[in-house]
Amino acid sequence: MKKFSSILLLGLVALISSCGTEEKEWSYQETVHLGEVRPIGLALTDEGFWISDGDNNRLVQTDRNGKVARYIDSLERPMHLDVAEGVVYVPQYGNDRIGVFAADILQQTQGPGNLDAPAGVSVAGNTMAVADFYNNQVHYKNEQGQWSTFGKKGSEPGEFLYPTDVQITEEGIWVADAYNHRAQLIDFEGQSLAVIGEEQDLNAATGIWVTETEVFLTDFENDRVWIFNKQGEVLQLLDDEVEKPTDMISEGESLWVANFRKGELLKYALTPVQKK
Amino acid sequence: MAQSSRDVFEVQVDGLGCPFCAYGLEKKFKEFKGIKKITIDIETGDFRFEYPADQALTAEQVVKQVEKAGYTPKTWTITRADGQVETSEAMLASASSKGSEKGELTVRGVCGMCKARIEKATLSITGVSEANWDVESNQLTFGYDPSKASSDAVRDAILAAGHDVENKKATDEAYDALPPCCLYRTKSKH
Repeated sequence: MKKFSSILLLGLVALISSCGTEEKEWSYQETVHLGEVRPIGLALTDEGFWISDGDNNRLVQTDRNGKVARYIDSLERPMHLDVAEGVVYVPQYGNDRIGVFAADILQQTQGPGNLDAPAGVSVAGNTMAVADFYNNQVHYKNEQGQWSTFGKKGSEPGEFLYPTDVQITEEGIWVADAYNHRAQLIDFEGQSLAVIGEEQDLNAATGIWVTETEVFLTDFENDRVWIFNKQGEVLQLLDDEVEKPTDMISEGESLWVANFRKGELLKYALTPVQKK
Repeated sequence: MAQSSRDVFEVQVDGLGCPFCAYGLEKKFKEFKGIKKITIDIETGDFRFEYPADQALTAEQVVKQVEKAGYTPKTWTITRADGQVETSEAMLASASSKGSEKGELTVRGVCGMCKARIEKATLSITGVSEANWDVESNQLTFGYDPSKASSDAVRDAILAAGHDVENKKATDEAYDALPPCCLYRTKSKH
Protein backbone atom coordinates (compact mmCIF):
# COMPACT_ATOMS: atom_id res chain seq x y z
CA MET A 1 0.00 0.00 0.00
CA LYS A 2 1.07 3.54 -0.53
CA LYS A 3 0.78 4.58 3.10
CA PHE A 4 4.03 5.16 4.93
CA SER A 5 5.90 2.09 5.99
CA SER A 6 8.66 1.38 8.43
CA ILE A 7 10.89 0.53 5.46
CA LEU A 8 10.49 4.03 4.11
CA LEU A 9 11.17 5.51 7.48
CA LEU A 10 14.43 3.59 7.64
CA GLY A 11 15.37 5.01 4.28
CA LEU A 12 14.75 8.50 5.50
CA VAL A 13 16.84 7.96 8.57
CA ALA A 14 19.60 6.83 6.25
CA LEU A 15 19.06 9.92 4.15
CA ILE A 16 19.53 12.23 7.06
CA SER A 17 22.14 10.61 9.23
CA SER A 18 23.40 7.18 8.40
CA CYS A 19 26.92 8.36 9.24
CA GLY A 20 26.20 10.96 11.84
CA THR A 21 25.40 14.02 9.75
CA GLU A 22 26.33 12.68 6.35
CA GLU A 23 24.07 14.10 3.67
CA LYS A 24 22.74 11.81 1.00
CA GLU A 25 21.08 12.30 -2.34
CA TRP A 26 19.44 10.11 -4.94
CA SER A 27 21.77 9.04 -7.73
CA TYR A 28 21.18 6.92 -10.83
CA GLN A 29 22.33 3.31 -10.54
CA GLU A 30 20.96 1.15 -13.34
CA THR A 31 18.23 0.61 -15.89
CA VAL A 32 15.92 -2.38 -15.81
CA HIS A 33 14.58 -3.09 -19.30
CA LEU A 34 11.00 -4.28 -19.49
CA GLY A 35 10.80 -5.19 -23.16
CA GLU A 36 7.35 -4.57 -24.61
CA VAL A 37 5.93 -3.34 -21.31
CA ARG A 38 4.96 0.34 -21.19
CA PRO A 39 4.84 1.06 -17.46
CA ILE A 40 2.39 3.60 -16.11
CA GLY A 41 1.82 2.63 -12.47
CA LEU A 42 4.11 0.86 -10.01
CA ALA A 43 3.46 -1.01 -6.78
CA LEU A 44 5.93 -3.01 -4.75
CA THR A 45 5.53 -6.19 -2.72
CA ASP A 46 7.94 -8.72 -1.24
CA GLU A 47 7.88 -10.59 -4.56
CA GLY A 48 8.71 -7.56 -6.66
CA PHE A 49 6.76 -5.13 -8.81
CA TRP A 50 3.22 -4.94 -10.04
CA ILE A 51 3.24 -2.79 -13.14
CA SER A 52 0.28 -1.49 -15.08
CA ASP A 53 1.05 -1.85 -18.78
CA GLY A 54 -1.35 0.62 -20.32
CA ASP A 55 -0.48 0.09 -23.95
CA ASN A 56 -0.97 -3.66 -23.68
CA ASN A 57 -4.04 -3.66 -21.43
CA ARG A 58 -2.50 -5.85 -18.76
CA LEU A 59 -0.84 -6.09 -15.38
CA VAL A 60 2.67 -7.41 -15.19
CA GLN A 61 4.30 -8.91 -12.14
CA THR A 62 8.10 -8.92 -12.13
CA ASP A 63 10.90 -9.51 -9.69
CA ARG A 64 13.16 -6.62 -8.74
CA ASN A 65 15.31 -7.27 -11.80
CA GLY A 66 12.41 -6.94 -14.18
CA LYS A 67 12.04 -10.64 -14.89
CA VAL A 68 8.40 -11.27 -15.65
CA ALA A 69 6.62 -13.70 -13.35
CA ARG A 70 3.20 -13.37 -14.96
CA TYR A 71 0.79 -11.26 -16.96
CA ILE A 72 -2.81 -10.53 -16.06
CA ASP A 73 -4.72 -9.69 -19.24
CA SER A 74 -8.22 -8.43 -19.98
CA LEU A 75 -7.83 -5.02 -18.41
CA GLU A 76 -8.71 -1.82 -20.22
CA ARG A 77 -5.94 0.76 -20.01
CA PRO A 78 -4.78 0.08 -16.43
CA MET A 79 -3.23 3.12 -14.77
CA HIS A 80 -1.76 4.04 -11.35
CA LEU A 81 -2.40 0.98 -9.22
CA ASP A 82 -1.93 0.07 -5.58
CA VAL A 83 -1.39 -3.10 -3.56
CA ALA A 84 -2.66 -3.68 -0.03
CA GLU A 85 -2.56 -6.93 1.91
CA GLY A 86 -1.91 -8.97 -1.18
CA VAL A 87 -4.74 -7.43 -3.21
CA VAL A 88 -3.97 -5.42 -6.34
CA TYR A 89 -6.29 -2.48 -7.07
CA VAL A 90 -6.23 -1.25 -10.66
CA PRO A 91 -8.07 1.78 -12.00
CA GLN A 92 -8.98 1.26 -15.64
CA TYR A 93 -9.14 4.33 -17.78
CA GLY A 94 -10.84 2.47 -20.61
CA ASN A 95 -13.86 0.98 -18.88
CA ASP A 96 -14.32 3.22 -15.82
CA ARG A 97 -13.91 0.30 -13.42
CA ILE A 98 -11.58 -0.53 -10.56
CA GLY A 99 -10.09 -3.96 -11.08
CA VAL A 100 -9.44 -6.01 -7.95
CA PHE A 101 -6.99 -8.87 -8.37
CA ALA A 102 -6.71 -11.36 -5.53
CA ALA A 103 -6.17 -15.08 -5.24
CA ASP A 104 -5.60 -15.30 -8.99
CA ILE A 105 -9.04 -13.85 -9.77
CA LEU A 106 -9.65 -10.50 -11.41
CA GLN A 107 -12.93 -8.86 -10.50
CA GLN A 108 -14.31 -5.64 -11.94
CA THR A 109 -15.89 -3.27 -9.44
CA GLN A 110 -17.96 -0.21 -10.13
CA GLY A 111 -16.15 2.10 -7.72
CA PRO A 112 -17.65 5.43 -6.75
CA GLY A 113 -20.20 7.36 -8.78
CA ASN A 114 -19.87 7.67 -12.51
CA LEU A 115 -16.15 7.51 -13.05
CA ASP A 116 -14.82 8.85 -16.32
CA ALA A 117 -11.33 7.49 -16.86
CA PRO A 118 -10.08 6.65 -13.37
CA ALA A 119 -6.34 7.17 -13.49
CA GLY A 120 -5.09 6.48 -9.97
CA VAL A 121 -6.06 4.60 -6.85
CA SER A 122 -4.68 4.42 -3.32
CA VAL A 123 -5.74 2.05 -0.57
CA ALA A 124 -4.97 2.36 3.16
CA GLY A 125 -6.76 0.05 5.55
CA ASN A 126 -10.43 0.22 4.64
CA THR A 127 -10.06 3.59 2.97
CA MET A 128 -9.61 4.23 -0.74
CA ALA A 129 -9.00 7.27 -2.94
CA VAL A 130 -9.55 7.47 -6.70
CA ALA A 131 -8.34 10.10 -9.17
CA ASP A 132 -11.17 10.65 -11.66
CA PHE A 133 -9.46 12.13 -14.74
CA TYR A 134 -12.21 13.51 -16.98
CA ASN A 135 -14.50 14.45 -14.09
CA ASN A 136 -11.66 16.47 -12.51
CA GLN A 137 -12.47 15.02 -9.11
CA VAL A 138 -11.07 12.88 -6.32
CA HIS A 139 -13.25 10.32 -4.58
CA TYR A 140 -12.57 9.09 -1.06
CA LYS A 141 -14.03 6.15 0.82
CA ASN A 142 -13.72 6.49 4.57
CA GLU A 143 -13.34 3.77 7.22
CA GLN A 144 -17.11 3.40 7.33
CA GLY A 145 -17.24 2.68 3.62
CA GLN A 146 -18.92 5.99 2.69
CA TRP A 147 -17.77 7.71 -0.47
CA SER A 148 -17.21 11.47 -0.74
CA THR A 149 -16.36 13.42 -3.88
CA PHE A 150 -14.00 16.37 -3.85
CA GLY A 151 -13.14 19.13 -6.30
CA LYS A 152 -14.18 20.37 -9.70
CA LYS A 153 -12.45 21.48 -12.86
CA GLY A 154 -10.26 24.48 -12.19
CA SER A 155 -6.97 25.77 -10.95
CA GLU A 156 -7.81 27.19 -7.55
CA PRO A 157 -6.84 25.30 -4.38
CA GLY A 158 -9.21 22.38 -3.97
CA GLU A 159 -9.84 22.23 -7.72
CA PHE A 160 -8.22 19.87 -10.19
CA LEU A 161 -7.30 19.73 -13.84
CA TYR A 162 -7.22 16.11 -14.92
CA PRO A 163 -5.86 14.39 -11.79
CA THR A 164 -3.87 11.26 -12.60
CA ASP A 165 -2.63 9.80 -9.32
CA VAL A 166 -3.43 9.82 -5.61
CA GLN A 167 -1.87 8.65 -2.39
CA ILE A 168 -3.47 8.44 1.03
CA THR A 169 -1.20 9.46 3.90
CA GLU A 170 -1.83 10.30 7.53
CA GLU A 171 -2.03 14.02 6.73
CA GLY A 172 -4.52 13.66 3.89
CA ILE A 173 -4.75 12.72 0.23
CA TRP A 174 -1.94 13.74 -2.08
CA VAL A 175 -3.02 14.30 -5.66
CA ALA A 176 -1.00 14.47 -8.87
CA ASP A 177 -2.95 17.42 -10.28
CA ALA A 178 -1.53 16.66 -13.69
CA TYR A 179 -2.52 19.53 -15.94
CA ASN A 180 -2.35 22.14 -13.22
CA HIS A 181 1.25 20.92 -13.21
CA ARG A 182 1.40 20.56 -9.45
CA ALA A 183 0.85 18.32 -6.44
CA GLN A 184 -1.95 19.07 -4.09
CA LEU A 185 -2.68 17.84 -0.56
CA ILE A 186 -6.31 17.80 0.51
CA ASP A 187 -7.74 16.72 3.83
CA PHE A 188 -10.29 13.94 4.14
CA GLU A 189 -13.09 16.44 3.62
CA GLY A 190 -11.63 17.85 0.43
CA GLN A 191 -10.12 21.07 1.78
CA SER A 192 -6.83 22.02 0.18
CA LEU A 193 -3.97 21.96 2.68
CA ALA A 194 -0.98 22.48 0.39
CA VAL A 195 -0.06 23.07 -3.22
CA ILE A 196 3.42 22.10 -4.36
CA GLY A 197 5.38 22.54 -7.55
CA GLU A 198 3.63 25.51 -9.11
CA GLU A 199 6.87 27.46 -9.38
CA GLN A 200 8.88 24.70 -11.04
CA ASP A 201 7.41 24.98 -14.54
CA LEU A 202 6.43 21.32 -14.72
CA ASN A 203 4.67 20.03 -17.77
CA ALA A 204 2.17 17.37 -16.71
CA ALA A 205 2.60 16.13 -13.15
CA THR A 206 1.37 12.65 -13.98
CA GLY A 207 2.56 10.59 -11.01
CA ILE A 208 3.10 11.11 -7.29
CA TRP A 209 4.86 9.19 -4.53
CA VAL A 210 4.98 10.46 -0.96
CA THR A 211 7.16 9.32 1.94
CA GLU A 212 7.40 10.55 5.53
CA THR A 213 9.20 13.73 4.50
CA GLU A 214 9.37 13.81 0.71
CA VAL A 215 7.03 14.31 -2.21
CA PHE A 216 8.16 12.85 -5.54
CA LEU A 217 6.44 14.24 -8.61
CA THR A 218 6.90 13.26 -12.24
CA ASP A 219 7.40 16.01 -14.81
CA PHE A 220 6.31 13.96 -17.81
CA GLU A 221 7.00 16.16 -20.81
CA ASN A 222 10.24 17.57 -19.38
CA ASP A 223 11.71 14.13 -18.61
CA ARG A 224 12.32 14.90 -14.93
CA VAL A 225 11.36 13.85 -11.42
CA TRP A 226 11.11 16.53 -8.76
CA ILE A 227 11.63 15.82 -5.07
CA PHE A 228 10.12 18.28 -2.59
CA ASN A 229 9.80 18.39 1.15
CA LYS A 230 6.31 18.71 2.58
CA GLN A 231 6.71 22.49 2.68
CA GLY A 232 7.16 22.53 -1.08
CA GLU A 233 10.87 23.29 -1.13
CA VAL A 234 12.84 21.52 -3.81
CA LEU A 235 15.22 18.91 -2.40
CA GLN A 236 16.47 17.42 -5.65
CA LEU A 237 15.76 17.16 -9.36
CA LEU A 238 16.33 13.82 -11.07
CA ASP A 239 16.91 13.73 -14.81
CA ASP A 240 19.62 11.11 -15.41
CA GLU A 241 18.12 8.67 -17.94
CA VAL A 242 14.59 9.86 -17.12
CA GLU A 243 12.35 9.85 -20.19
CA LYS A 244 8.59 10.37 -20.04
CA PRO A 245 8.28 9.26 -16.41
CA THR A 246 4.88 8.18 -15.18
CA ASP A 247 5.41 6.90 -11.63
CA MET A 248 7.93 6.25 -8.87
CA ILE A 249 8.18 4.10 -5.78
CA SER A 250 10.84 3.84 -3.08
CA GLU A 251 11.93 1.18 -0.64
CA GLY A 252 14.61 1.94 1.91
CA GLU A 253 17.51 3.53 0.05
CA SER A 254 16.23 2.52 -3.38
CA LEU A 255 13.96 4.45 -5.71
CA TRP A 256 12.50 3.21 -8.98
CA VAL A 257 11.21 5.47 -11.72
CA ALA A 258 8.93 4.17 -14.50
CA ASN A 259 10.15 5.34 -17.90
CA PHE A 260 6.98 5.00 -19.94
CA ARG A 261 8.26 5.61 -23.44
CA LYS A 262 11.29 3.34 -23.30
CA GLY A 263 9.72 0.56 -21.26
CA GLU A 264 12.18 0.80 -18.40
CA LEU A 265 12.51 1.05 -14.67
CA LEU A 266 15.33 3.27 -13.49
CA LYS A 267 16.92 2.43 -10.20
CA TYR A 268 18.23 5.28 -8.07
CA ALA A 269 19.93 4.91 -4.69
CA LEU A 270 20.78 7.17 -1.80
CA THR A 271 24.46 7.95 -1.93
CA PRO A 272 26.66 10.44 -0.10
CA VAL A 273 26.46 13.91 -1.59
CA GLN A 274 29.43 14.54 -3.85
CA LYS A 275 31.48 17.47 -2.60
CA LYS A 276 32.15 20.01 -5.31
CA MET B 1 -12.26 -17.09 -48.11
CA ALA B 2 -15.25 -15.61 -46.30
CA GLN B 3 -15.74 -11.91 -46.82
CA SER B 4 -15.15 -9.76 -43.77
CA SER B 5 -18.15 -8.01 -42.27
CA ARG B 6 -16.06 -5.18 -40.91
CA ASP B 7 -14.53 -2.05 -42.33
CA VAL B 8 -11.02 -1.21 -41.20
CA PHE B 9 -10.23 2.42 -40.38
CA GLU B 10 -6.68 3.72 -40.09
CA VAL B 11 -6.23 7.32 -39.05
CA GLN B 12 -3.03 9.16 -38.38
CA VAL B 13 -3.56 11.63 -35.56
CA ASP B 14 -1.03 14.39 -35.27
CA GLY B 15 0.90 15.12 -32.13
CA LEU B 16 -0.34 12.49 -29.67
CA GLY B 17 2.09 12.96 -26.83
CA CYS B 18 1.07 11.05 -23.75
CA PRO B 19 -0.89 7.94 -22.81
CA PHE B 20 -3.63 10.00 -21.17
CA CYS B 21 -4.37 11.76 -24.46
CA ALA B 22 -4.04 8.61 -26.54
CA TYR B 23 -6.29 6.52 -24.35
CA GLY B 24 -8.69 9.46 -24.14
CA LEU B 25 -9.03 9.45 -27.92
CA GLU B 26 -9.74 5.74 -27.81
CA LYS B 27 -12.35 6.32 -25.11
CA LYS B 28 -14.18 8.89 -27.24
CA PHE B 29 -14.45 6.37 -30.05
CA LYS B 30 -16.13 3.86 -27.77
CA GLU B 31 -19.20 6.04 -28.29
CA PHE B 32 -19.39 4.24 -31.64
CA LYS B 33 -21.25 1.11 -30.58
CA GLY B 34 -19.83 -1.97 -32.19
CA ILE B 35 -16.29 -0.66 -32.53
CA LYS B 36 -13.68 -3.42 -32.23
CA LYS B 37 -9.95 -4.04 -32.28
CA ILE B 38 -8.87 -0.52 -31.39
CA THR B 39 -5.14 0.00 -31.45
CA ILE B 40 -3.24 3.21 -31.02
CA ASP B 41 0.46 3.91 -31.32
CA ILE B 42 1.42 6.91 -29.24
CA GLU B 43 4.75 7.37 -31.00
CA THR B 44 3.45 7.40 -34.55
CA GLY B 45 -0.11 8.59 -33.92
CA ASP B 46 -1.44 5.60 -35.86
CA PHE B 47 -4.99 4.88 -34.74
CA ARG B 48 -6.76 1.79 -36.09
CA PHE B 49 -10.12 0.19 -35.47
CA GLU B 50 -12.75 -2.01 -37.07
CA TYR B 51 -16.41 -1.22 -37.42
CA PRO B 52 -19.43 -3.17 -38.71
CA ALA B 53 -19.68 -2.67 -42.46
CA ASP B 54 -23.47 -2.49 -42.38
CA GLN B 55 -23.21 0.71 -40.34
CA ALA B 56 -21.46 2.43 -43.28
CA LEU B 57 -19.40 4.70 -41.07
CA THR B 58 -18.02 7.52 -43.18
CA ALA B 59 -14.66 9.22 -43.18
CA GLU B 60 -16.40 12.47 -42.33
CA GLN B 61 -17.91 10.95 -39.20
CA VAL B 62 -14.54 9.62 -38.13
CA VAL B 63 -12.76 12.91 -38.76
CA LYS B 64 -15.52 14.74 -36.86
CA GLN B 65 -15.19 12.40 -33.88
CA VAL B 66 -11.41 12.84 -33.77
CA GLU B 67 -11.86 16.59 -33.83
CA LYS B 68 -14.64 16.43 -31.25
CA ALA B 69 -12.16 14.72 -28.94
CA GLY B 70 -9.84 17.67 -29.46
CA TYR B 71 -7.33 16.00 -31.74
CA THR B 72 -6.23 16.61 -35.28
CA PRO B 73 -6.55 13.91 -37.94
CA LYS B 74 -3.80 14.08 -40.51
CA THR B 75 -4.53 11.30 -42.97
CA TRP B 76 -6.89 8.37 -43.12
CA THR B 77 -7.47 5.15 -44.99
CA ILE B 78 -10.63 3.06 -44.97
CA THR B 79 -10.55 -0.50 -46.20
CA ARG B 80 -14.15 -1.52 -46.72
CA ALA B 81 -15.31 -5.07 -46.10
CA ASP B 82 -15.85 -5.54 -49.84
CA GLY B 83 -12.22 -4.64 -50.54
CA GLN B 84 -12.71 -1.06 -51.68
CA VAL B 85 -10.15 1.37 -50.30
CA GLU B 86 -10.78 5.04 -49.59
CA THR B 87 -7.90 7.37 -48.70
CA SER B 88 -7.42 11.00 -47.84
CA GLU B 89 -4.80 13.31 -49.09
CA ALA B 90 -2.48 14.69 -46.43
CA MET B 91 -4.55 17.37 -44.80
CA LEU B 92 -1.52 19.34 -43.78
CA ALA B 93 0.52 18.81 -46.91
CA SER B 94 2.03 21.87 -48.41
CA ALA B 95 0.15 23.27 -51.36
CA SER B 96 1.82 23.21 -54.71
CA SER B 97 1.72 26.95 -55.07
CA LYS B 98 2.98 29.35 -52.44
CA GLY B 99 1.10 32.39 -51.27
CA SER B 100 2.37 35.74 -52.40
CA GLU B 101 2.12 37.33 -48.94
CA LYS B 102 3.61 36.24 -45.67
CA GLY B 103 1.69 36.61 -42.44
CA GLU B 104 2.79 36.30 -38.82
CA LEU B 105 0.79 35.94 -35.64
CA THR B 106 1.59 35.10 -32.04
CA VAL B 107 -0.56 32.12 -31.09
CA ARG B 108 -0.55 30.56 -27.64
CA GLY B 109 -0.04 26.83 -27.31
CA VAL B 110 2.27 24.32 -25.69
CA CYS B 111 2.74 21.10 -27.58
CA GLY B 112 2.74 19.10 -30.78
CA MET B 113 -1.00 18.64 -30.66
CA CYS B 114 -1.40 22.42 -30.44
CA LYS B 115 0.86 22.77 -33.47
CA ALA B 116 -1.24 20.37 -35.53
CA ARG B 117 -4.47 22.11 -34.56
CA ILE B 118 -3.17 25.65 -35.16
CA GLU B 119 -1.70 24.80 -38.54
CA LYS B 120 -4.83 22.94 -39.59
CA ALA B 121 -7.03 25.88 -38.60
CA THR B 122 -4.76 28.19 -40.58
CA LEU B 123 -4.83 25.99 -43.66
CA SER B 124 -8.61 25.71 -43.46
CA ILE B 125 -8.86 29.27 -44.78
CA THR B 126 -9.21 29.37 -48.54
CA GLY B 127 -6.19 31.07 -50.03
CA VAL B 128 -3.75 30.03 -47.32
CA SER B 129 -1.13 27.75 -48.77
CA GLU B 130 1.37 27.11 -46.02
CA ALA B 131 1.53 27.36 -42.26
CA ASN B 132 4.14 26.76 -39.61
CA TRP B 133 3.76 27.32 -35.88
CA ASP B 134 6.77 27.12 -33.57
CA VAL B 135 6.09 25.70 -30.12
CA GLU B 136 9.00 27.53 -28.47
CA SER B 137 8.37 31.02 -29.80
CA ASN B 138 4.59 30.63 -30.25
CA GLN B 139 5.02 32.31 -33.65
CA LEU B 140 2.82 31.31 -36.56
CA THR B 141 4.03 32.11 -40.06
CA PHE B 142 1.82 31.52 -43.05
CA GLY B 143 1.68 32.21 -46.74
CA TYR B 144 -1.52 33.43 -48.33
CA ASP B 145 -3.10 34.97 -51.36
CA PRO B 146 -4.41 38.38 -50.20
CA SER B 147 -7.14 38.33 -52.85
CA LYS B 148 -8.66 35.26 -51.18
CA ALA B 149 -7.56 35.27 -47.54
CA SER B 150 -6.71 37.69 -44.79
CA SER B 151 -4.81 37.70 -41.54
CA ASP B 152 -8.08 38.42 -39.70
CA ALA B 153 -9.69 35.30 -41.15
CA VAL B 154 -6.72 33.23 -40.02
CA ARG B 155 -6.90 34.75 -36.57
CA ASP B 156 -10.61 34.01 -36.24
CA ALA B 157 -10.16 30.40 -37.34
CA ILE B 158 -7.46 29.85 -34.72
CA LEU B 159 -9.54 31.51 -32.01
CA ALA B 160 -12.42 29.19 -32.89
CA ALA B 161 -10.02 26.26 -32.48
CA GLY B 162 -9.36 27.33 -28.89
CA HIS B 163 -6.06 29.21 -29.11
CA ASP B 164 -5.46 32.79 -28.03
CA VAL B 165 -4.08 34.98 -30.84
CA GLU B 166 -2.11 38.15 -30.16
CA ASN B 167 -4.21 40.01 -27.58
CA LYS B 168 -7.48 38.23 -28.37
CA LYS B 169 -8.63 35.33 -26.24
CA ALA B 170 -10.45 32.26 -27.43
CA THR B 171 -13.80 31.70 -25.79
CA ASP B 172 -13.81 29.61 -22.62
CA GLU B 173 -15.98 27.09 -24.43
CA ALA B 174 -13.42 26.65 -27.22
CA TYR B 175 -10.53 26.57 -24.77
CA ASP B 176 -12.19 24.02 -22.48
CA ALA B 177 -12.69 21.68 -25.44
CA LEU B 178 -8.92 21.31 -25.85
CA PRO B 179 -7.32 18.05 -24.66
CA PRO B 180 -5.51 18.17 -21.29
CA CYS B 181 -2.05 18.37 -22.85
CA CYS B 182 -2.99 21.56 -24.69
CA LEU B 183 -4.24 23.66 -21.79
CA TYR B 184 -1.72 26.41 -22.31
CA ARG B 185 -3.28 28.92 -19.91
CA THR B 186 -2.44 26.82 -16.85
CA LYS B 187 0.91 25.77 -18.25
CA SER B 188 2.19 29.26 -18.90
CA LYS B 189 0.78 31.19 -15.99
CA HIS B 190 3.95 30.89 -13.90
